[in-house]
Amino acid sequence: MFKELDPLFLSELRLAVMSILISVEEADFVYLREKTNATAGNLSVQIDKLQQAGYIDIKKTFKGKRPQTLCKITKKGISAFEEYIEALKSYINL
Amino acid sequence: MEELQDKRLNEKESLELIAQMIRNTKMKMKEGSGTMFLIWGYSTVIVTMLVWSLCLYTQDYRYQWLWFLLPISASIMTIIYKKQEDKKPRVSTYIDRVISYIWWVVGVAGFLLSMVSILAYTFPILFVIVLIMGIGTTLTGLIISFRPLIISGIIGMAASVVLSFLSWKFQLPLFSLIFLFMMIIPGHYLNHKATNNNV
Repeated sequence: MFKELDPLFLSELRLAVMSILISVEEADFVYLREKTNATAGNLSVQIDKLQQAGYIDIKKTFKGKRPQTLCKITKKGISAFEEYIEALKSYINL
Repeated sequence: MEELQDKRLNEKESLELIAQMIRNTKMKMKEGSGTMFLIWGYSTVIVTMLVWSLCLYTQDYRYQWLWFLLPISASIMTIIYKKQEDKKPRVSTYIDRVISYIWWVVGVAGFLLSMVSILAYTFPILFVIVLIMGIGTTLTGLIISFRPLIISGIIGMAASVVLSFLSWKFQLPLFSLIFLFMMIIPGHYLNHKATNNNV
């Protein structure tokens, strides 16, 4: 039987961000933008959505004089990601 | 890589994207990973040879105070290097954190032992410093699966024992030689490999 897919992971960019954050402890906005090749505006909107869902924590700090946005996956985000992978497996018979 | 949009993916595309992102961020060493080894390695070799030659040729042991140049110069270079690193996009992995904890512990132990050696004249400081630096190097090599560091760290630990049986005239050149093989050479090699993203 097919499991329901988390709609938050259906966006290409949100899924990419979660896939990066699951493999590192913490990454800043610039790093995420480099790895996903997304525009700053689009990335910003998508990480806000992930934060609102409680999947990532966002910490805004300063690096010298420049602002820095640090993103970190939460426990809820890890569980949601794992469930999403399990659901995907049911679709493609893994 | 093309720009990622807010488009919907099918199941197969999703799995491919996850695999690609994880591949891109997997535990590769960052560029400049060997730089800390180089900073502390070169500082140690230069200061050691300076103290050794001045003490040997002048017979004035007050030159031993020049040992303080080592933590001062290496710390200044470390701060400058870290400031430069701060300008790059930041990502930290669990491995980065574990390695930095190891070197913090080694650093604190090294500092405390150096203080003891100032108070207790007969304390075998060179032996102990090489031993704990060898432990730090070996553990770092094991964690990042980088064989040159594992081997050089073990050789350093073994060589620390030899140091205990030598007079200071021979101890200091061997001490420098150990740092050359334990930190400088693997540090350059690690930087080379990390630049090519092979580690």
